[in-house]
Formats: sequence, structure tokens, C-alpha cells
Amino acid sequence: MSAMQLTEDQRDAMQEITNIAMGQAGSLLAELLGNFVNLSVPRIKVLALAEVARAIRDMVGSDIDVTAVRQSFQGYLTGEALVIYGQNGCTELGDLMGYDEELDRSEETELLLDVSNVLVGACLGGIVDQIKNLTEAHGTAELGFSAPSVMAESVPADALINPDKLSWTHALLVEVNFTLEGRNFISHLCMLMPEHSIEKMCSILDRFVESY
Amino acid sequence: MNGHITLNDSPQDINLPDFIVKWVDVGIFVVNKKMEVTLWNNFMCNHSGLGADAIVGKNLFECFPELPKAWLSKKILGVFLLKNFAFTSWEQRPYLFRFPHNRPITGGVDHMYQNCTFMPVKGAAGEVDSVCITLFDATDIGISQTALKKAMKSLSDSSNRDGLTGIYNRRYLELRLSAEFDRCRRYRDQFSFVLFDLDHFKRINDTYGHLAGDEVLRVVSSHINSLLRSVDVMGRYGGEEFGIILPATPMQSALILAERIRLAIEQAPVAYKGISIPVTVSIGIAEFEPDVPNYEHLIGCSDRALYHGKENGRNQVTCYTPELESKTASS
Repeated sequence: MSAMQLTEDQRDAMQEITNIAMGQAGSLLAELLGNFVNLSVPRIKVLALAEVARAIRDMVGSDIDVTAVRQSFQGYLTGEALVIYGQNGCTELGDLMGYDEELDRSEETELLLDVSNVLVGACLGGIVDQIKNLTEAHGTAELGFSAPSVMAESVPADALINPDKLSWTHALLVEVNFTLEGRNFISHLCMLMPEHSIEKMCSILDRFVESY
Repeated sequence: MNGHITLNDSPQDINLPDFIVKWVDVGIFVVNKKMEVTLWNNFMCNHSGLGADAIVGKNLFECFPELPKAWLSKKILGVFLLKNFAFTSWEQRPYLFRFPHNRPITGGVDHMYQNCTFMPVKGAAGEVDSVCITLFDATDIGISQTALKKAMKSLSDSSNRDGLTGIYNRRYLELRLSAEFDRCRRYRDQFSFVLFDLDHFKRINDTYGHLAGDEVLRVVSSHINSLLRSVDVMGRYGGEEFGIILPATPMQSALILAERIRLAIEQAPVAYKGISIPVTVSIGIAEFEPDVPNYEHLIGCSDRALYHGKENGRNQVTCYTPELESKTASS
């Protein structure tokens, strides 16, 4: 559907907003983890749902198993965020988050949910912080989050999203890779928003462009 | 109770949000950066036995020394720092506070299961002044989820197991074989499939009766099962025929294991009602190769090897090789 394409200006604006948000997220994470955090420059795409599965496979790699955590956000923007970890992505989490002992299975899951929640909150919080000033007409832009849950454990990347089971037709994919200095930790963050939220986002982006 | 609000109060005397926070059937409390409690609602009072006047202004961890301090303070400080929501779920951490639940008769669990949400409370300047924690009673969900999981497990057990021997049935064995086949193809890994058959089983049935035959199947399958690693999957393929999936195992290692199995069964006749029934097995092994078209083909290869061993005098292990095909064809 061509109506759902971002214009070049909108894409640049989104890129800019996400860059700043992720920069802030990175420094907060570094403070929390006591470790330097590398964040890739986010890549922005609006995709038809049928393409999302392929896009995720492309960013993670088709021949590895992934574990994914989902979390929904609602309020000014509505959607779901996915944090996707490669097979080895979670191995050093315990060490990273200051757990001393070997973790049992539920502690591992709890940690995975915690880290995902931090990544999603930091990124989306950063985005909303920046667009706040552009949305006076709409009241305050605030987000609420629901508890994260494990969506899939050790499944092939292309089995993660099944378009047949989803009612949305388009999604905004914001792809960010997190790497921690000297650690084997990579994760991918992806935000899926239904059309009405993408439309709202687009009008904010237009205002963002005008404000320059 | 002190400050109880009744419906007779005129609306202008009631601060509605205060009323709701106080009486809602959800635990709500607030802590500041020094971990001092600044709000403690009725739910928290009733379940902890500590009233607001006893705890407000005091340090949370001094009032509740049993709380997991290192973990919880890190969690709360994270909310201050990141200005972000945080959560705990009963599924990973059954409870934050060790509260009794309100199902003393029908419960079957020790404590109230809790889902908690940690919310940053922002002041006018956007700084987080305190953290508000809500605590939902998830005992009902926990109990029904646990019961559901148990039921699902026993259901899947009964649909995956063979009624006589208690090991996996053919349906499940093929399911796992198909998955292992796909996995090895995807990751270029290796595995072996072993098919074995009790020698002259019909003779055992005819000589000692079918009940003795059943006992032989039970004893031999459980004996062999005890020789396997926990990752190996053994199932009953047919009448007296069994299959074993050996993940990450090349043919040479599978051969060593198969020979050990063959010897163990030969040396341990089955005792049945005071009679000792000698049993031997013939074993065929096939190794996964990337060019094998499907898992059924692999079963066919192990069957070919097994058949060859039977022809060759039984009580032996045979590895499948393509040469076997021509031998069988020419014989």
C-alpha cells in the first residue's frame, strides 16, 4: 500500500528522533550496567506485514534460532515492541546484570524480561520525550507499558512472526542493534505499530520537519 | 477502620482518587529514593498486618527484612534512573511480599502469587521523585495455570507414550526424528538413527505365552532405555521393533553404543515366573547425511541394515552403507 510509505523527510525526521532516543538510552544503559554500550544507527522501515517476517530474518540471520520478548505500549502511540536475541544473545546476561550465582531457568527468564523492558522503555521513552513538544494540540504525549512476556524461545527466525495470525496490515520497523563492549550480547529491537498509530506518527514527523 | 468512607458522605467531602487508592483491591505503595515508604494503601495494610501509620516514613527494608533487598533495591533504583516502568511476574518470581492468600481452603499454594508494576512518579521538572508499586493478586491465575500445565503434560504424556512399555510411541518417535532431521540439515549437524528388533520374538510368544512376551518387551525396552543418554530418544516402532535417535552422534560412536546394547541384552535373560528367557537383538544403524532426502529414507536405511543382520544370523549390529543395497539386491 503506497499510502503507508514514509516520505523522505519523514524518514529523516524519524531517523533523527530515534538516533537521539537511542543515544540517551545508550548512556542510561551504560550507567545501569556499568559497561559501555554500542548502539547501531537505527534503520527505519514501514513494512507490509507479510514483509516483516523476512525483514526480521534478514536482520537476525536465517540460520540461527532466536528468542523474543514482546511488550505492548499504549497511550499516545499504540503498538508492540519486540526484542529479539540470537541464540547466544542471552548467555552473558546474568553476569552483565550483576547476578553472581548460576541462574536457574526462571531467573534467566526474569532477567531476559528485565533487560527487554529496559531496552524498550529507554527507546520509546526517548522518542516520546522528543515528540512531546510537538503534540500540545493532542494533550500530553505519554506512554503506558504492560508487562513484557516471552513470545518465543529458540525458534527459527522466520517462524517468529506469522502474518496469518495478526490482524495488522503494516508495521513500523525500527531496527536497533545493541552491542556491549567486550561482551557477547547482541539484540534487535523492533516496534510494530498499527496503521492509525503510524499515521499519527507521520503527522508528528511533519511537524518535526516544519519546526526546523 | 480509621478514615472509612461511606456512601453517605456527600461527594464534595470525598477526594475520589484518594478513596480509590485506599480501597481498590490492588496493593499500592510508594517509596522515595531513600527507600522510605510514603504511601501504603489498605490492601497492603490488610495483607501485611502493618498499618500505614506503622510504616509510612520508615525504610521499606527495615520494616520487611525478608524482602530480597539486593535485587529489589536494584530494581527500584533502575526505575529512578531510567524513568521507566518495570515489572515482575508470578511466573518467574511468585511473590514480592510473603502474604497469605485469600483461598485458605481451595488454594493448594502457600502464598499469594503477585504481579507487580513499578511506575516512575515524575515531578513537575520531569525528575522521578518516587516509585509507585502496584501489586496484583495473581493467585487465581497461578492456580489455574498450574493445573492447566499439569493437565497438558499428562495429556501429552499419554498421547506420546506406548501403553505396554511406557517408552515413546511410534508417532512421537517419528515427530522427534523429523525435527532432528530438519535441525541437522539446518545447522549441518550430525546424528544417527538406530533400529533394533528382538530376535525370534514369535518363538518366545509361542513357547512361553503372550504374557511372557509382553514382559520381555517391557524389561528389554526399559533395560535399553537405561543405557542411553538423556538426550537420546527411544520409542517403540512396531510390535517388537524399536527406534533410537542419537543426537550429535556419528556412526562410529553409535556402533559402540549399539554393541554395548546388544551385549547387555544377550547377557541378561528376562526372568518371568521363575523361568529365565534368553533374548537377543539385531540392530541396524544409519547415519544422517545431508543428501538423504527425508527422515523416512533414513528409517529405510536402518531397516535395510537390520534386515541384513537378520539374514546374517541375528544377534549382531550392522551399519548401513550403500554397498548393502547391492548385496541385498544380488542375494
